[in-house]
This record gives sequence, structure tokens and C-alpha cells, in this order.
Amino acid sequence: MGKDFAQPPHFTPKDRPLSAHPLPLSEPAQAASAEPEAYLAALVELATPVLLADAGGRVSFVNRAATALLGCTAAPAIALDALFASCGVGGRIALPDGSAPQRFAQLKLSDGRAVNVEARLLPDGGAALTLTDVSAFVREAERARRDPLTGLVNRVTLHATLGRLLQAGKPLTLMALDLDRFKSVNDTLGHPIGDTLLRKVAERLGTVAEDGDVVARLGGDEFTILKPGSFTREQIEIIAKRIVDLVGRTYALEGHMIHIGASVGITQAPHDGSDNDVLMKNADLALYRSKAEGRGRYRFFEQKMDEQMQARRAIELDLRQALALQEFELAYQPQVDLATQEVVGFEALLRWRHATRGLVSPLEFIPVAEETGLIGAIGEWVLRTACRDAVQWPEAITVGVNLSPLQFRNPSLAQTVMSALASSGLAAERLELEITENALLEDTDTVLVLLKQLRDLGVRVSMDDFGTGYSSLAYLQKFPFDRLKIDQSFVRGMGANPEASAIVRAVAALGASLGIKTTAEGVETEEQLAAIRNEGCTHVQGYFTGRPMALADARALLVQPRKVAAIVEEHGL
Amino acid sequence: MSAAAPFQRLVYYSRNEVDGDADALDAAIDEILSLSQRNNAQADVTGALLFNTGCFGQVLEGPRRAVEATFERIQRDPRHSDVTLLAFETTDARAFPNWSMAYVGAKPAQAVRYNEIAASSGFDPSRMTANRLLETLHGLAMEKEA
Repeated sequence: MGKDFAQPPHFTPKDRPLSAHPLPLSEPAQAASAEPEAYLAALVELATPVLLADAGGRVSFVNRAATALLGCTAAPAIALDALFASCGVGGRIALPDGSAPQRFAQLKLSDGRAVNVEARLLPDGGAALTLTDVSAFVREAERARRDPLTGLVNRVTLHATLGRLLQAGKPLTLMALDLDRFKSVNDTLGHPIGDTLLRKVAERLGTVAEDGDVVARLGGDEFTILKPGSFTREQIEIIAKRIVDLVGRTYALEGHMIHIGASVGITQAPHDGSDNDVLMKNADLALYRSKAEGRGRYRFFEQKMDEQMQARRAIELDLRQALALQEFELAYQPQVDLATQEVVGFEALLRWRHATRGLVSPLEFIPVAEETGLIGAIGEWVLRTACRDAVQWPEAITVGVNLSPLQFRNPSLAQTVMSALASSGLAAERLELEITENALLEDTDTVLVLLKQLRDLGVRVSMDDFGTGYSSLAYLQKFPFDRLKIDQSFVRGMGANPEASAIVRAVAALGASLGIKTTAEGVETEEQLAAIRNEGCTHVQGYFTGRPMALADARALLVQPRKVAAIVEEHGL
Repeated sequence: MSAAAPFQRLVYYSRNEVDGDADALDAAIDEILSLSQRNNAQADVTGALLFNTGCFGQVLEGPRRAVEATFERIQRDPRHSDVTLLAFETTDARAFPNWSMAYVGAKPAQAVRYNEIAASSGFDPSRMTANRLLETLHGLAMEKEA
């Protein structure tokens, strides 16, 4: 190698006097006084790699630095392209001419280095080529294009590629993907395993991608696949299914079996739009929908998703002010003991009365509250208000308060309950917290610990909507619930199908043998009341025995205690 | 740590997704076997593969990282789905020390034997525990060897 460096230029233009070339000196006077040989010697030794080509594209001169950079020698008068080929250089440069006196290109050397070449037209029609090693910049740029963890391209690159394709009017498909349950992997097994998992996911996505597809990691557990070309929905569906299946397959990592899932949102250009941001938003909306529908699935974007999201956002904005504007109120629905026919408690039900929307259904705003985390503050308001209200009731009966599964994510839940009891003066055993099975689905152990803390305070705990979730009997074994509330769908179904009756009977029997009270919800008719009594339920709550009512009405009901029949007369259907 | 670090054993069954007739299945199994025997020998992974009409059952054992890498490759294979892990545990000894991948089960083309395999091996993976599957595979591999 040293020999190459020491060699003089392989050949120099002998047939043409150098003085024929314009010399790159600022002072013409100096130029006139210098010897042409001196310029030649300088050019030979110049640290910048330089080649000269004649008008025919043949190489007439290569200086030392250029020889060293190219790493090979060349035959005299070899064509420029042939020289590059013989040196293993990838790429070519068109020589400048009158219409384009300056040309640029990037070449790839045999050792992988990237070289920028600039060719300038010389008066004799030939060209002077200067080479610049830009490997470091290229490497840096490549690094900037990629996500260091997975080696996939990053958000910036995805946007650039997407923009380029859209600008050229190309059809394409964008698939946004994120991982279900990834957070809990990170939380329970630690970030190093989380990172390893992300790399494995990236590798699996790589096996789904075809030539030309761009697989990007946008950050966290968000990935996007950009698929250029025109594909039918059916074709994309096959790929989406494959992604959901493949990413959802169990991982064996560092001795752990890891189960995650993937949700996918799909949008296509030009069908759904032809703007970068619009398409990215579409894919996100579709992804959001697919997650909301139960995860581990894919959804194509639809225009109405956008409208629904706008509506949702509007609700969120209003919801954020609702507490301050005191727009929430509680209604109380009587709970009746079937043995004594007396009201033994009320369930507090949240109502949102908005200035212009009117009464907003909990089905509409509770999911938004849960998603935005507002449920924490709203839930606490419900708890405190219900305790305060109950304390004023003339009888020491219970008040049921619903807890969202989200509230169990807050480790200070027990303190909040304690504080609500203390500041209201309500006896702990009069508060009955109602939870759904969903609260127990994730982090079961943590939730059980919280439930035990609550139980230690003396409050009661009931399981709401029993029968609609997984109805895992294991939960009943793990925690001594005070009450099972049989979902209203079973009560409503009793007349029509015998299975519903059998389920109500079974749950009532289960409750009886475990010493747990059973409340049938949604009783609307006398027949239903008779039926649930018949099946062995201990309590009832429903329109037939009392609709949700204002606090004053609830208090009035207690001041003059009446039996069920009287309640029915006044409040029933 | 001593040199005799425990092995990792992984047992799974999955649903066969190979399309086509008995010949196609034969070809697929041949390919799976030869590839896994080659890869496994290099990676010091041993084990057994069982195939019947609808299912693959497989035991992989060896150094943990090698077993995990092998399993990851298997997971990416579209020729099966619904992979259910029955066991993923450390073990002091290999059950299949001499097989880079023992194959137990008749070739589909050789006979209409799916049911026979199931009958003779009792191979109904969905009802099996990891130990049963392991024992079944082990027993069948031994029989074949004899």
C-alpha cells in the first residue's frame, strides 16, 4: 500500500502544455510568472484528490491523493468509467458540457467509503474532477435515519419517504402498529428485556416486509410499515393478519415466556388521502379503533372515525371543566332486601348534566374519562359526595359506589377512601364499593392487595355485572366479596330463555353456599321480581323496585319507610 | 457457575398450516427436518418433532440462548400457527441427547396413517401436559431407534 502512495502520478499530460489550462489563481500576474511545471508538481502533491479527463472522457491525469483514495492504479488514457470499474467503484458521473458546466455525483468505493465527486468543465472540453471522502457524513446521516435500538428507520425517515411517494402521486398503504401489553412486560421484567423484545418484534416485522416496504419504529412500542404500490384491501388484509399472528406469537427471551399482541390500523393512499399528516393520522385513528375493539386485531381507516374522534375530543374538553362547573350529580337507586322487602341501601349513580348537551350518558363519557385519566378526580368526587349524602340519611343503610378499574391503578386508593369516610363521618361498613371483574383482569395481585386494604378499613366490596366478564370463580376464592350483582342481561333474558334462568339460579346458589349476598339487577316487571325471588336471589335493584332518584327523594323514601309494593306504586313502571 | 449449567427445555405444540396433499406435507416435513437437524447440530440443540394430521409437537433442549434462538426461528415459520408452549424450563439432563431432531411419526405419503399415529402414540397435544408430550416423544423416538 505504501508503494502506491509513494508512486508518482501514473501519467501526466505530456502532449498538451499545462499552460493551456486556466489556472485557479486569483492573481493573473503571479500566474504569468510561475513555471507550468510548478503547477503540475503542486497538482500532483495537492492533498485534494484530483483527476483530469479529456473531451473524450479519457483520464489524462490522476494526482497522488486520488490514487490513494481510489486505491488502485489505472492504465494511461483509460476511459473514466473504465477506470472506476477497474477500481471497483460503484456509480458513475456524467462529464460536464456547455449546458451543464458543473456536475456532481456520489460514488461508492470498493472499501465501502462514499465519495462525492464534482466535475467542472475545462476550456478544452475536458473536465477537472475533485473527490471528497464523505463517508463520515453518510454514516452520520444513516445513523440519523435509523432507530438505534432496532435498526429500523425512524419517524423522520418514514415521513420523508412517505412525503416523496405522495408527492410523486404513488399509491401506498400505511400500517400503524402498536403492541398490546408491552408496558406490563417493561414494568414486570424490566427495560433490558423490553428492549430485547422490541428488537425481536422488529425482526419479525422484517420477515413480513417485502422488497420496497419501509419498516419504521416511531418510538416506544409504535411501529409503522409503509408499503408502496397498489394493493387491494384483501391483499392488505392477508398481510395485516400475518402481522397480528406473527407478532402475537409467544416469545422466549432470557428464560421468560412473553405474550404480547399487536393492533394494526391501516390507511391507503390515494383512497383515504394524499397528505403525509392526514395519512399518519388516519392510520392512528384506525389503530386506536382496533385497540378499542379489543386489541390483537386490525382495522381499516374510515372517514367516520375522524368525526367520532372529533366528537370524543369535544366531550373530553367539556369533561375537563365539568367538575369545576359542578355539572355532575348523583342519583340514588334503591336496593331492596327480598326477605324483609325493605330498602337496605342505595347505589350512587353518576349523572352529567351539561349546559348545552343536556344529560350525557355515562356510556358516552365514562370511557373518555377513563382514557384521559379524569376518572381519578371524578371517581373521588363521587366517593366523597356519596359518603356525605349517605351520612344525612335517616337510616344507617349502605351506599354503593362504583369504582373504575382505572382507580385501582392508583396505590393511594385506600387513603382516599379513608379520607372520604373520615371527612364525612360515614361508618365504614355503610360504604359498599362496587367493582367489575375488569378491575381484576390486569395486575390481579396488586388489585387484591388494594381490596384487602379496603376491607381492612371495614368497607364492603361487591362484584358488579357478574356474569358478563370472565366470571372467574377463582376471584371468589381469592377475595371474600360481600355481594355478587347479577348482570341485568340475565334478568331480562329469564322469560325468553331457560339458560338465563339457570344462570341466575346457579349464581344465587353459589352466593348462598359461599355466604355472599346476591343482588339481581335490572328487574323491571313483577314477573321478573317473582322469578328472581324464585331462583334464590337475596336482593333486588331495578326500575320495578325503584328508579334512580334525586337525593331528596331518596331521603324522603327513608323518612317514611314503605314496603316494596308501595315503592312500586310510586316509582315503578 | 459450574460448566454443567442446566439445559433449557422447551415443549410446544402447534397447528399444521401446510397446504396441499400428502406429497406436499412430506416435502415440508423433509425440509423442516433437514433444516432443523443442520441448524440444531451447530447450535447444540437436540430434540424431537412429532407430526400428525393437524399438529406439530416439538421438544427443544440445549443451552438457553440456542433454544430461544431456535424457537424464535420456528415461531416465524408460517407453516404452523397457534403455537402453545407447554413447558419452558431448566433441566439437568437432555431427554434426547443423541438426536439433533428426532422425527417420530410416519410420513404422510407412506400411508394413510394420521389416525394410526394418533392412535398408537396417543398424540392429542391439546390434552397433553408437557411431561406427557415429552414422554410420548421420547418413547416413540426410542422405539424407532430399536
